[in-house]
Amino acid sequence: MPDQSHVGRRYEARGQVVDAGRAGAMATAIAGPATAFEPHAVPPTFAAVYCLAPTLAQVFTDPEVGVNLAGLIHGEQAFEWPARARPGDVVDASAEITDVEEKRGMTFVTLRFEAARPQDGAVVCRGRSMMIIRGQA
Amino acid sequence: MSAPALSTVRVGDELAPLTRTVSQEQINAYAEASGDFNPIHVDADFAVAVGLPGTIAHGLLEMGILAEALSRWAGSADRLMSLEVRFSKPLVAGGTITCTGRVVAVDEAEGIATLDVEAVSDRGERVLTNGRATVRLSG
Repeated sequence: MPDQSHVGRRYEARGQVVDAGRAGAMATAIAGPATAFEPHAVPPTFAAVYCLAPTLAQVFTDPEVGVNLAGLIHGEQAFEWPARARPGDVVDASAEITDVEEKRGMTFVTLRFEAARPQDGAVVCRGRSMMIIRGQA
Repeated sequence: MSAPALSTVRVGDELAPLTRTVSQEQINAYAEASGDFNPIHVDADFAVAVGLPGTIAHGLLEMGILAEALSRWAGSADRLMSLEVRFSKPLVAGGTITCTGRVVAVDEAEGIATLDVEAVSDRGERVLTNGRATVRLSG
């Protein structure tokens, strides 16, 4: 299970492509059968795909951290979008474990994220996730 | 929908509520688009086995609907500068959420409106709480 010794651990996922087709599929999934709002835009929460997913995949499979995926709950999420990710952008994503706390038999893990476009240095997303892990690994 | 001019936005203004029923098909489509196939979202037997009433929507799908409500109000997703929420209660597949928001601050110098936002389910549960968003406005 994650503990204080894992604070400061960093994960990098370079070269994430902001895929237009997948962004459109997310816009449609969000809107359901209704017409998506701005179907050709990248939904703001598409940051889940180019920033959270590729870095969290590393966190969740880090054998030294040992996250119990069966007990994992997404507790909180914050995003900032200083610049806009555009279809076709290639971005470098990173994540860092910034806090681990034990409370009421659960483990609260806070991570911070950033995704930047190396082409012009623009930060397209900063994020903070709080994950709650119940039970033992 | 056109964006409200900054000069017309006042503290206390409310978002047009966005109500959406989240079907299992929609959750499956979101799983496909996001790559998150956690069985609590797509496998009813698994969800029940871990103590849920059934499969539940991805928190980020609910957050996406809330972001859409804000984007519609602002006139474009490009105007949404930040959004944070707490995933307080799960939304069961087939459930309906209503996203609401209210302007709590207007920074005329920076052209930024701050809103408190949340989402409630048709079961009367507050599914997204502690929500805060900033939106860039012009004029």
